[in-house]
Amino acid sequence: MKPTVLAAAAAALAFGAGTAFAADPVFVGHLVDYTGPTSDVGKPYGQGVADALAYINKSGGVAGRQLKFETVDYSYNAPRAISLYKKWVGTDKAVAIQGWGTADTEALVGFQAADKVPNFSASYSGHLTDPAGKGPKGSKPAPYNFFYGPSYSDGCRALVQWAAEDAKKKGIDKPKFVHLGDNHPYPNAPKEGCAAYATELGFQVMPPIQYSLKPGDFKAQCLSLKDSGAHYAFLANTGGSTISLLKSCETVGVSTQFLANVWGMDENALRTAGDAADGVMFVVGGADWKSDAPGMKTVREISKISDASGNEYRPVHYMRGICSAFYMRDAMAAASKMDGGITGPNIKAAMEQMKDHVPAELEGVCIPSTWTAEDHRGTTKVFIYRANSKGGEQSISKAGEAEIPRKAEWLGW
Amino acid sequence: MASTASALIPCGQFKTEYRKDTTIFPTPMSRGFAIAAVLLLCIAPLQIGGVELLSPYQLNILIQIGYYGIAALGLNILVGFTGQISLGHAAFFGFGAFASAWLNNDFGVPVFWAIPLAGLMTTVVGMLFGIPAARIKGLYLAIATFAAQFILEDFFARADWFTGGSSGTIAQSFSIFGFAITGDRQYFYVVLAYMVVLFLLGANLLRSRDGRAFVAVRDHYLSAEIMGINLTKYRVLSFGVAAFYAGVGGALFGHYLSFVSAESFTILLSIQFLGMIIIGGLGSVMGTLMGTAFMVLLPEVVQAFSQTAGNVFPALTDGIAFLKEGAIGLAIVLFLIFEPDGLAHRWKMIKAYWKLYPFSY
Repeated sequence: MKPTVLAAAAAALAFGAGTAFAADPVFVGHLVDYTGPTSDVGKPYGQGVADALAYINKSGGVAGRQLKFETVDYSYNAPRAISLYKKWVGTDKAVAIQGWGTADTEALVGFQAADKVPNFSASYSGHLTDPAGKGPKGSKPAPYNFFYGPSYSDGCRALVQWAAEDAKKKGIDKPKFVHLGDNHPYPNAPKEGCAAYATELGFQVMPPIQYSLKPGDFKAQCLSLKDSGAHYAFLANTGGSTISLLKSCETVGVSTQFLANVWGMDENALRTAGDAADGVMFVVGGADWKSDAPGMKTVREISKISDASGNEYRPVHYMRGICSAFYMRDAMAAASKMDGGITGPNIKAAMEQMKDHVPAELEGVCIPSTWTAEDHRGTTKVFIYRANSKGGEQSISKAGEAEIPRKAEWLGW
Repeated sequence: MASTASALIPCGQFKTEYRKDTTIFPTPMSRGFAIAAVLLLCIAPLQIGGVELLSPYQLNILIQIGYYGIAALGLNILVGFTGQISLGHAAFFGFGAFASAWLNNDFGVPVFWAIPLAGLMTTVVGMLFGIPAARIKGLYLAIATFAAQFILEDFFARADWFTGGSSGTIAQSFSIFGFAITGDRQYFYVVLAYMVVLFLLGANLLRSRDGRAFVAVRDHYLSAEIMGINLTKYRVLSFGVAAFYAGVGGALFGHYLSFVSAESFTILLSIQFLGMIIIGGLGSVMGTLMGTAFMVLLPEVVQAFSQTAGNVFPALTDGIAFLKEGAIGLAIVLFLIFEPDGLAHRWKMIKAYWKLYPFSY
């Protein structure tokens, strides 16, 4: 349940030079879900972060200091994440957290602001993008929250934009749009903001349909979806439950065009769902494994940390995990030159100075991102991918890009 | 359900008055030990000359045993003493946690008062869900209380005004006379104080008229009714008392974690509460504490063990999660086979053995 990864120790032995002038290692808490309801996407992402942190240590650490990180599987249980966080900050003197889910990240917002410990979460909830709490939709201040990638709301908005054009092409007048997801902070995060945008673009927004984050038989939900006559359905859960839903809907004979959140579809989910997932449009926030971007060379080196053969195929989440770890590293490196060195407030300050920043070795892998003291929407650029599956042949292909306007009224929403 | 303390009173001890037979502690020695244990716990969180007597990790375990133990005692009063059953104890535990946070966040009730008030609110809810006990028993009652678990769990995820909905709610730190208690070292005393008071109350309850009525309802409800005990009243009351303990335990949990969310209070926790009292000993106040300690410590011990094993046999590392769950399951099964009366019974046997050593019979 708690594989303690003391990569720092191993790396320090192998690379004595790195520790020659190093002070204490820098502690980073690393929260993963390898066994809970979001484990299907939690594994590749968590592995990406862990491999990247180990790679950073192998390459000499941050400003000569090694990272000491503890990877803990909390099974997507928010209270467990809180108690872990308390231990990390209280006992281990963590300066930053590599987080995971929306429920725990949103619950930790207040604690992290008080403790001044930044969280680089895998939750891209729009609520976390408003550091000063000035968003007009009543968002609470989340000064120490950062994430790499487009927010859930912006991802959904990009898909709605795509759907609007698609509807125009198909000649659908007043298309119907519906949100599908569990009653949980993560699927709920983009619900309102995206529905408002869909209405703005001329969609008729139907009442949301609930399906559990835990995979199950979702034929009832698919029948409601069929009855509603929705043309476009946004799937807000992660891959595991989305597979079950797509399969159930295939059985029931639903003809709705599915749109999936950034965690809702990937190569693994596509393989399992098979033809049921054909044509699903989904959000991607970075390069995919087959990309020929220059930074992929580094990614493949990083991948060898946990797969010496270098043959393993990594789903899209792996690359975002790496980006998350590298943005943190760059912020720590910049913080080490400030008064006080690598501390939470300095990491925050360094993050907020990044402008169209891409970590040096990851050119073309991570989308250039900008954070300011008033706006933590790192990027508003969204890659839209299509899942293809015909008779056992599966692939993902880029269908387009969307640049969501950085509207002030969408801050924290 | 072997529960009567008198069954194993060693020979040579004679009671000449009823009063002496119903003391909280059977012997002056046991009272001395209990007081010494509390005093020992009082110094446990101290740092003497910069040296911690207990690490933060150990302290955290003790606090867990505290709040779970309080809730488990409630369930033991319901199951062990009154002979009812509840599969919804975790929901009451959760209700207490949410109620205390709600009273404090929305009405500004100081946490000091919010905790007992949350206990009272939970009592009302518990009595409400205990009403079916007036009519049904055994497995049917189990399923009826199961409903409480589901209804409340769903309520937690939807009632935004009360629980913050699926996002959960923040619970403020405990404060007393404007002095905020934030660290584990201070919070330990809060839990300890509640524990001592509630365990004494629990032990005392059994010496009272109502406590005897609970036991009578358990042992033979028909005879109890003929003796003039109002069955409905005592069954529902027992649910109320159980819910009070669960509510206070939950409130302590909430303010300790400073965050309450619906996912903490699943049916699994309800089953764990049952596990605590069955392993500790149904109908035993001290047994409840032992059972809770057992259930809290077992995963930690197994984890420490499997980590050591993982270092020796790296192949095991991946299986640690499975090992842990498997070992817990096995321990419970073995317990039920070899020690159906619980840890409390085993403890008495050990005491009897040494008291009579070397001439045990």
